[in-house]
Amino acid sequence: MTASPLIEIEGLRVLFHGDDGRVTHAVDALDLKLAPGATLGLVGESGCGKSVTSLAIMGLLPKRSANVSGAIRFDGFDLLQTADTTLRDLRGNRLAMIFQEPMTSLNPSFTIGDQIIETILRHRGGSRPSARERAIALLRRVHIPSPEKRIDDYPHRLSGGMRQRVMIAMALACDPRLLIADEPTTALDVTLQAQILELMRELKAASGAAIILITHDLGVVAEVCDEVAVMYAGEIVERASVDELFAAPQHPYTVGLLGSIPRLDRRTDHLATIEGMVPNMTRPPTGCRFAARCPFVSDVCTEAPPPLVEVNPGHDSRCVKAPLERLVS
Amino acid sequence: MTALLEADGLVKRFPATRSLFGRPTAFVRAVESVSFSVKAGETLALVGESGCGKSTVSRLALRLIEPDAGAIRFEGRDLLALTATELRAFRRKAQLIFQDPYASLNPRMTVGQVLAEPLALHNLVPASARRERVEQILRMVGLEPRVARRYPHEFSGGQRQRIAIARALAVEPKLIICDEPVSALDVSIRSQILNLLRDLQQRLGLAYIFVSHDLAVVKHIADRVAVMNLGQIVETAATDALFAAPRHPYTRALLSAIPVPKPQAKRSRIVLQGELPSALNPPTGCRFHSRCAYVVERCRVEGPALIADSTGHATACHRVAELPPADAVVPHDGGFSPALEKLVAAFSLSTEGPARGGVDIVSASPRAGA
Repeated sequence: MTASPLIEIEGLRVLFHGDDGRVTHAVDALDLKLAPGATLGLVGESGCGKSVTSLAIMGLLPKRSANVSGAIRFDGFDLLQTADTTLRDLRGNRLAMIFQEPMTSLNPSFTIGDQIIETILRHRGGSRPSARERAIALLRRVHIPSPEKRIDDYPHRLSGGMRQRVMIAMALACDPRLLIADEPTTALDVTLQAQILELMRELKAASGAAIILITHDLGVVAEVCDEVAVMYAGEIVERASVDELFAAPQHPYTVGLLGSIPRLDRRTDHLATIEGMVPNMTRPPTGCRFAARCPFVSDVCTEAPPPLVEVNPGHDSRCVKAPLERLVS
Repeated sequence: MTALLEADGLVKRFPATRSLFGRPTAFVRAVESVSFSVKAGETLALVGESGCGKSTVSRLALRLIEPDAGAIRFEGRDLLALTATELRAFRRKAQLIFQDPYASLNPRMTVGQVLAEPLALHNLVPASARRERVEQILRMVGLEPRVARRYPHEFSGGQRQRIAIARALAVEPKLIICDEPVSALDVSIRSQILNLLRDLQQRLGLAYIFVSHDLAVVKHIADRVAVMNLGQIVETAATDALFAAPRHPYTRALLSAIPVPKPQAKRSRIVLQGELPSALNPPTGCRFHSRCAYVVERCRVEGPALIADSTGHATACHRVAELPPADAVVPHDGGFSPALEKLVAAFSLSTEGPARGGVDIVSASPRAGA
C-alpha cells in the first residue's frame, strides 16, 4: 500500500469476561491497514471475530465485559484512547456502520426521515428544513422511489431491501470516510442483494469512502472487494488482493472454504468439508488454531503459533506450509 | 415410471383482512394453479424469492394445510380424500426438515427421545429394540450413538440439523421435504449437510423436494428445478438444462444475480428494478411483467401458460421464442487452477474414511494438539 492508510489497526485484542469467570479470546493480535477508497472484505464463519473487530473500531463493545487492547489509528485519533464524547462526534460522521438486520437497527417509532435528519443535525447542524432537503437527496441517491413521500414513512412500511437502502442513506448522511458494512445483504433475496451490491459499488466510486465489508459469502467478496482478510478463531489467517486470494489461496482454511461452497461455474459430486469444530476460544490451542481440522497438519503446526508471513508480494498467510503449491506438486 | 408425488393445479389463498363478522375481505394469493411431480429417488427444487409461495407449496404437498383447489396424489392415491387415520399413515412416508434446527427440536427432550418418538407413534419398532434403532439412525447421519443421551442445546447448528434429518429418517420415509435446510448454517457446515443429504438419497432411494432461494446449492443437489414467482411456477426443467440455458426472464435475472466467487468472472448481470409486487394484489396478466425488461402489451393483460417443449423444459412466457439467447448468465470457465483443485481434493479425501463425521460435542474440550 503506497498511500498513507486511512485506518491502521495494530495488535487488536478483544477478551470477553464471562459471568462464570471464563475469558473468551474473541480477537487476537489483529493487524490491518486500509487505504482511502479501498474496499476490504473481512471473511469468516460465525464466531471468528469479524463482527467483534468492527464493533471495536466503532467503540461499541460493552465496556463492562470486553477488554480491548492494541491501537486503532483513524484520522489522527487512536480510537481506543479517545474519549467517548469525541467518539460520538466521529460515529455517524466520519465513521459509519450498516448492520445486517435493518429492521432492528431502525427505530420503529420514528419516521425514517426523522432518523436521517437527526443524524444530519447532530453532526452538521443547520436548519431542519435544509436537513430534510438533504435527507430527501440521500434517499434519492440510494434509489428510493418518490423520496419526498417515503421520507415520512415509518420503517414497518418499507420492505427489507428498502430498509437496507435507508440504512445506507443514513450511513452516508455525513459523507463518512470509512463505512463498515456488517453482512449488509445476508438477510436479503439474491435479486435485492444484487441491487444493494450495485449501489455500494456506485457509492464507492462516487464518494471515495473506504469500505470494510464483513461477510461469510465469498461470492459477495469477489464481486465488490479489492482486498480480503480471512479470519479464523479470532486471527487473520490470510490476507491478499481478491484476485490472488481466489486464484491461489495460501491458507488451508481458505482452500477448504473455497472448496465447500457449491458454485455455478463448477461441477462436483462431493463438496469439500472442513471436519471438526472451531476451537473453544476460552482455551485457544497453543499452536496453529486450525491444526485440528487441517488435512495438511504435521508436528510443527501444533508446537508454536505460526506468524502471519508474506508468501508472495502483498499476500500474507499464517501457515507454516505456505506456499501451498509445494504440498501437491 | 409413475410419479411418487403429483400435484395438480394447487391453489391456496390466505385471508388477509376480515370484515366485522369474520368474513374474509381480501386474500393473499399465495399459490395459483401450481402443478408438479416428483419421482421416487429424485430431487425437485422449488426456488424463488421470499414470499413466492415455495414454502406454502411444500406444506400443501404434505397436506399440512388444505388447498383451496387442486389435487395431490401420493403413489397414485388422492391425498385430499384420506381420513385422519390414513393421513397419519401417509405422514410416515413423507417427512419434513426445517430451516432452523434450533427451533424445530424440543429442548426438553434428549436426542434419543426425539428419535424414539416417531418410532413409537407409528408403532414401527418394539419398545425393546428402539434404543438400538436410534443408535443405528444416529450413525447413519454421522453422529455417534452416545449423543442419544444429550439435549439439543449441547449441539452446534450443523449437528442439530443432522438430528433433524435423523428424526425424519427414523420412520423410513420415501419423500423428505427440505425447507431451506442449509440456509442457517455456516459454509463449511453447509457442505457437510449437503453431502449427507446426497449420500442418504443414494443409499436409501429417497425423493426430496428441496425448497431454497440459493441457486448455487440447488444446482448442486437437484435433478429438476421449478422456479416460482408470486405463487406460480414460471419455468421448470432438468437442472443442467435450466442452468445452461435459462429461458424465462425471471430465471435469467435470478441466475445472473448470484455472486460467483471468481473476481474476474465475465458475465452479464441483469439487475431487476423495482420491488417484488405484493401477493395481496398481484399484477394482472403475467405476474412478472412489472419487473420484466421484455414486457409487451400482451403480458399486461394475459397470463402466460406453462408450456413444455419436447425435452420437458417448460416456460410460462409469451415471448419465450423471441427472447435473445441467454449468454453468459452463468459463467462456464471452470472453477480452479490444477494446483488449487488438488489442494481442495485433500479436504474431500479426509472425509471419506469410515471415521466420517468426526463429530464432537460443543461443550467438550478443544482438540488442541490432537
